[in-house]
Amino acid sequence: MKIYNSYILTVAVLLLLTTIILISFGQNSLDVYYTIYILEALVVTELYVYFNAKARRGLNLVSAILFGGFLVIVSLRVIEILA
Amino acid sequence: MLKKNPYIWAGLGLLAAGSLVFLSSYFILLITWLTALGICMLILSFIFLALGRTIPKLSPEVSSLLLETGISNIATLVEELGIKSKAIYLPSTITNGKPQALIPLHVNPSPPTIKEALPQRLIVRYGANPDDIGLLVTTTGTTAVSMLEVKPGPTSTELESALTSLFTGLLGVADRTRVITAENHINVEIYNPRIENKTTWFHECLGSPLASIVASVAAEAWNRPITIKQEEHHRGRYSIELEVLG
Repeated sequence: MKIYNSYILTVAVLLLLTTIILISFGQNSLDVYYTIYILEALVVTELYVYFNAKARRGLNLVSAILFGGFLVIVSLRVIEILA
Repeated sequence: MLKKNPYIWAGLGLLAAGSLVFLSSYFILLITWLTALGICMLILSFIFLALGRTIPKLSPEVSSLLLETGISNIATLVEELGIKSKAIYLPSTITNGKPQALIPLHVNPSPPTIKEALPQRLIVRYGANPDDIGLLVTTTGTTAVSMLEVKPGPTSTELESALTSLFTGLLGVADRTRVITAENHINVEIYNPRIENKTTWFHECLGSPLASIVASVAAEAWNRPITIKQEEHHRGRYSIELEVLG
């Protein structure tokens, strides 16, 4: 399952690099971290077009969960602004 | 119930560690970057768990055992009959079901065009001459084609996409493929193949497993009989030349 390992390694390296870069920029907002993480995960998942159908379904579910988390963050921000 | 494999174990480990890091750093330590690392671990754990569910139950060793047994039986048959002709890979429309390989019992430089569907038997007559008899066998390519979600089209791009999806995404035996078609010839290059190439009598007749898969997919895509003209392995690149018949 070389494609799985390659995909996981790509996502892991990207997320860690992002964390290091954001820390070095002094970023202190968890929302920014999370938003960039899910954007990267979604883009990498879309780039791996040759996954089998079962793996694609599983990753789509993960993407949906991550996107749900993003919507929660946006909703909290909207409520904060309105309040 | 989750099937336990290294991906599932890694996912569960990351899930536990990620939850611990996230909760402790968010509620107790109040460190943002550590909380972000916890989120990273949780995202990776979800990915591990999602992919772990798709790993087949059979180990690669068992799959190899079954493949070797099947190939060994056909190889014995081919060697005992002293067959020296190259196999013709037929599309499913000619074999009444799934793409198979026809091994002519006699060498014929100009094989007849197969117009009618062949019967589902081991020994079949495929032409009008008395010598036009061959063995209709199931190959690794037959099974590989059934794994494709859609039948590939005849263009280079469609064939390349189907082969890359098969070799890289489904079977994990190569990094990528490249297809060039010119009239009745199809050249396929497979990059970094991970299947051992053997030069036995049987492989001379039916081709290597990779070539067999390529020929079956190409026969199905072009909907015409195909033979393997040449195979060459050179520095992590496996080149296969196919000829479209009829």
